[in-house]
Amino acid sequence: MSIIKKLALVIVSLSLVAVSSVSSAKPFSPKKPIELIIPAGQGGGADEIARLVQGVIEKNDYASKPVIPINKKGGSGGEAMTYVKKKAGDEHTLIITLNNVLTTPVNQPELGIDFFNDFTPLARLITDTFLVWIATEGKNTQGVETFDDFIALAKGNGLVMGGTGSMSEDELLLGMMRGQFGFDAKYVPYDGGGAVAKGLVGGESDFTLNNPSEQMGFYQSGDSKALVMMTPERNPAFPEVPSSYELGYPDLEYYMMRAFMAPAGVDAEVEKYYTGLLHTVYHDDEFQTFNIDDGKLMSWLEGFGLKDFLAIEYAKHGEIIKNFD
Amino acid sequence: MDVFILLLEGIFVSFEPLNLGLLVFGCLIGLFVGAMPGLGSVNGVAILIPITFIIPPTAAIIFLAAVYYGAMYGGAISSVMLGIPGASTAVATVFDGRPLAVKGEAMTALTAAAVGSFVGGTVSVILFTLFAPPLAEVALRFNAPETFALMVMAFATFVGLGGDDVPKTIFSILIGLALSTIGLDLITGKPRLIFFNIPGFLHGINFLVLAIGIYGIGEMLWTLEETKGKVQMSKLSVNMKEVGRAFGALKKTIMAMNIGSFLGFFVGILPAAGATPASLMSYGITKQLSKNSKEFGSGVPAGVVAPECANNSASTGSMLPMLTLGIPGSPTTAILLGGMILWGLTPGPLLFTQEPEFVWGLIGSLYIANFFTLVLNIALIPAFLMVLRIPFAILAPVIFVLCVTGGYAPTQSLHDVWLMLLFGFAGYILRKLDYPVAPAVLSIVLGPLAEKALRQSLILSDGSMGIFFDMAEKPIAAIIMYIAIVLLIMPAFGPLYRKLFKKAQTT
Repeated sequence: MSIIKKLALVIVSLSLVAVSSVSSAKPFSPKKPIELIIPAGQGGGADEIARLVQGVIEKNDYASKPVIPINKKGGSGGEAMTYVKKKAGDEHTLIITLNNVLTTPVNQPELGIDFFNDFTPLARLITDTFLVWIATEGKNTQGVETFDDFIALAKGNGLVMGGTGSMSEDELLLGMMRGQFGFDAKYVPYDGGGAVAKGLVGGESDFTLNNPSEQMGFYQSGDSKALVMMTPERNPAFPEVPSSYELGYPDLEYYMMRAFMAPAGVDAEVEKYYTGLLHTVYHDDEFQTFNIDDGKLMSWLEGFGLKDFLAIEYAKHGEIIKNFD
Repeated sequence: MDVFILLLEGIFVSFEPLNLGLLVFGCLIGLFVGAMPGLGSVNGVAILIPITFIIPPTAAIIFLAAVYYGAMYGGAISSVMLGIPGASTAVATVFDGRPLAVKGEAMTALTAAAVGSFVGGTVSVILFTLFAPPLAEVALRFNAPETFALMVMAFATFVGLGGDDVPKTIFSILIGLALSTIGLDLITGKPRLIFFNIPGFLHGINFLVLAIGIYGIGEMLWTLEETKGKVQMSKLSVNMKEVGRAFGALKKTIMAMNIGSFLGFFVGILPAAGATPASLMSYGITKQLSKNSKEFGSGVPAGVVAPECANNSASTGSMLPMLTLGIPGSPTTAILLGGMILWGLTPGPLLFTQEPEFVWGLIGSLYIANFFTLVLNIALIPAFLMVLRIPFAILAPVIFVLCVTGGYAPTQSLHDVWLMLLFGFAGYILRKLDYPVAPAVLSIVLGPLAEKALRQSLILSDGSMGIFFDMAEKPIAAIIMYIAIVLLIMPAFGPLYRKLFKKAQTT
């Protein structure tokens, strides 16, 4: 069943490439290994998706050349973005995004990154959301059962929040929550979501705003529990966790996008090839199952829709940063 | 007793034909990857991940773990034979391994490396088997203040590294620390010390670039000057007498084996540290505690055993937080972790009960892989020794090429090759001026770890250093800190102490 489906998709994507080739020059296919830049460390959410995409492509031979993930985690994505900017016109470089691609150009103007002109957006595959996590045995969060309990506690006491680095998504979220609920917390940065999760269970921090997958192991073992998910609806992977809408906080809604971009200045053929490749990956059974089980939202977006989405998110993040201090 | 039944099952799993075949194959690849400068276990495992999608998860982890393992052995080979660290984990092996080879005792160095690796690997896998769950608890309690205390302890041991010339050693440490701050600020993410706005500095100074520069290029310049190119590397013959001598030399390395095995394992299970800091710390502490610490650096077998024992021990140890907590204990396990997630496993506290075949198959395979790499290494020693028969006029260009590729490979930027050459030249000058260079290499590795832990701790404590000395709240951090202070003071009183002690003995 799935093989036929996969074959069909391969044919569809190949024909997409083929059709486009009629209109212009010869179709693009990679001539050397494709570098996939990950603007975060190993073991985090973006890294996981990048390696999954790599694996799915290799396993099914979706591309004629291998995909090589390279982590450039320096400076909230600054290192990776500088690298890709310098690769303008390079046909064998891709970057997977975290939201730090929306914030780092604003926070670090000295890098000289122009988000709208230095990259070629290809497609968004997944959106990931965030939850408020506490440790089941947290010494400062004893007796906290609901999100409202948590807000009440956090208002009176300076809790410690573990996060993934300055101006990353979770620190912005903390800023957002500070505005909405009037509490503040001490923010301690760690190396990636895995270390954040460990810091929480190890008792160094009181709460975290981690992705579903980053906390999954400790969630399944019962060492940490989630109070709210920042989406309109509940997620099947966390059936007992209420959504922010249910709790009456519709403003508490936030997504992280897992999109792919190429450097600026690549041919339309190249853009089409990679978008087609990603589309094939997106519809791969294994890719779908893995992400749904992991609590992610499958949300394909390309072309103008993607460009609009990025513009809106860029503006929204600019606003959050402006109100940050 | 349950543990032993599970372990036995695990060993049976790794004897299944597919698994055993992959294990042997993985060890061989690992040896090669480890021995090639610039290619380490991280690259090896990352490159091979896609292959594992077509085999069952247990076979996949056995294969990749064998690569990881083999690389720990392999790194020593080029460290000893060529004087270039084959991998970051083998940098400390150069300190004494290279002088041994130059003295004509390459056989001893290689044997020490192989046996040390075997002992470290075996001790740690036994510790792993017996104490995995309680040790996971330790790793969980080991947070920022504890990490910083451990780093201070490591630095304290380095002060004794450069011999009795403490000011020169401290100068060397400071150079390393200064270099380690180049790049992006770890906490705020802002760029720091980006000289002339060259983007190559954004990713900081990869410590292999420094190590390969100093030991590869610097050493070559030094040798050329000393010998005017007429180097007869050493006369070597492999006979039973040599073999006996090599094994005999190991008797004096029992302490190094103990320190390497236990310290390596302990550092390995701590998140984010891994085999490189473990091997460096093991070398430093072994030297500090050794009776003949002055001879370290001039070619003593214990100086090879200590780091080699520790890097194998740490690589096993770093699988513990990976399996039980879902966080990597080293860069290589970070990639293995990614692999596990893709194979459909959820690393975390439940993995041991949900996937016993996978976990125990891996543990079982480590015992076998250890034994196999030992045999393979000892058997291949004559082949490695052939390298020393190559005339220097041929070997030097080969070393140069290996240095350049080794400098280029980790970050794939030519910027790092230039830096590597620059460091090579600087290292040569420092050596002429009689400055110890090892402490600089050590501190560029540990600098970022220490800085991050320090700043995290100070955020937690609102800027109070008291967090490191709080016996009631953070006893582990406090105890380590006090040990560090003692270690730091020791070299200052060391000569005095030795004098007094010797006098007491002679009278």
